[in-house]
Amino acid sequence: MKWYDRITMIDRRVIYLLLTVFVIIPFFIKVTIPQKIMPQTRRLFDFIESIPPNDKVVMISFDYSPQTQPECHPMAKALLKHCFARGIPIVGLSFEPEAPGLAVDALVSVVQEIDSLATNREDSLVYGIDYVYLGWKSGRIAAQLDMGEAISGVFPRDYFGNLIDSLPLMQATKNYKNVAIVIILASADYPIDWIRYPQTRYGIKVGAGLTAVMAPQYYPFVQTGQVSGLMSGMKGAAEYEKLVLDHGYARTLGSAETGMNSQSMIHILIIVFIILGNVGYFFSRRQKGTHK
Amino acid sequence: MSSDPWIWIGAILTLMIFSFLYRDNPFYKFGEHLFVGIANGYYIVYYWHNALKPNLFEPLSAGQFVYVVPLLLGLMYFTRFIPRISWLVRIPIGFTIGWGAGLSIPALFQADVLRQLEGTVVTPATFSDLASGIWAVIILIGVVCTLVYFFFSREQKGLLGSASRLGIIFIMIGFGASFGYTVMARVSLLIGRIQFLLGPWLGLID
Repeated sequence: MKWYDRITMIDRRVIYLLLTVFVIIPFFIKVTIPQKIMPQTRRLFDFIESIPPNDKVVMISFDYSPQTQPECHPMAKALLKHCFARGIPIVGLSFEPEAPGLAVDALVSVVQEIDSLATNREDSLVYGIDYVYLGWKSGRIAAQLDMGEAISGVFPRDYFGNLIDSLPLMQATKNYKNVAIVIILASADYPIDWIRYPQTRYGIKVGAGLTAVMAPQYYPFVQTGQVSGLMSGMKGAAEYEKLVLDHGYARTLGSAETGMNSQSMIHILIIVFIILGNVGYFFSRRQKGTHK
Repeated sequence: MSSDPWIWIGAILTLMIFSFLYRDNPFYKFGEHLFVGIANGYYIVYYWHNALKPNLFEPLSAGQFVYVVPLLLGLMYFTRFIPRISWLVRIPIGFTIGWGAGLSIPALFQADVLRQLEGTVVTPATFSDLASGIWAVIILIGVVCTLVYFFFSREQKGLLGSASRLGIIFIMIGFGASFGYTVMARVSLLIGRIQFLLGPWLGLID
């Protein structure tokens, strides 16, 4: 067998093994591959920066499932750190049935991290005042539209069973007039409903943090301004983590930044495989042409 | 190494699923079937406690008999299994289509057509910044040429053919970007699992 035939027939298990090795290496050997921050991520960050503290809330729709946790969970944590550091209250909710556990995990871990550094009562975060998690609701389009009239009509109780009207934050947050932006962290096509229905009817601002598979289909909406900012996959999460760190809103980077080193290594490996495959194909085709 | 049994269960199941990369085997099959079973069980229990019970059965048991209407509409879907009255299924389907179309047509037209067209229109204001002006022209050319590619009412030759061929290039760039993003997404999932195995399970990384 010729060398060019051999490189087009590498055993897939060898490729899987190499992929695994290339993922693991950056965790043990310091490899820093610089990441350029994409404009759509910066736009989302800048939008949050422009919201005055203790004014309107940021509504986060946690709509990702455990499978896509490596991409969306770091986004959630970075976003929460940014908002809390700027004194912007958070109202969380979900339309993805698998998301509530992840949403609570993101909120609890970020709140615990901030509270552990708090030196006085004002620095710590209080449930019902600084943040609320409403839980999951079925029939998302109807729910999204109804929240434009009254959030308490859709979510009479929060995830933990508290009456919405008993929570100070929700007493001040009646409907979308009190919401600066809705940011959808999703692993499925949830943001499009927010764009088509509540945005068209109530003019609410929409931002998104999406898995990389979904991101390209939302770029046209970023271009038209229908989406005010977008985090795309693990790279978007890493960029947001970096922006949050650089502006002094966090002390350490999150898991996405670490993962991006592996991501870059894997991409280099895949490019090498694509080149090898094409070289092999080109030479074997030329050889066949010569024999004819 | 972790002493938490749940972490061990997660790690062992992850390795069982990864074993398929070598070849199909009973461990992979066990992991796969367990996942499908648990996912189904989760969804059934979740929808019962969070959708059906609070939105239908609790109001009904509290005497709000207007909820009989959605209950009957829902039950009509099951008439598909009884040939004699299977025609009844058309009622909830008609209701769903009517509601869906009425709600989505104006919204879809506004968000997906008019606003997108607006974003494609190039005005003198677009050139206030040279770079964004150039990009706007590229987007305009891309949209027009891609639309031309899907215009089959005339033979694609001459100017139409050239525009169509340019349209293919834009479409291919779009597919390439989507493929690149898909690779990134799938690799992210692998990284997440490796982080779990090396971190919470083996304790080798923070």
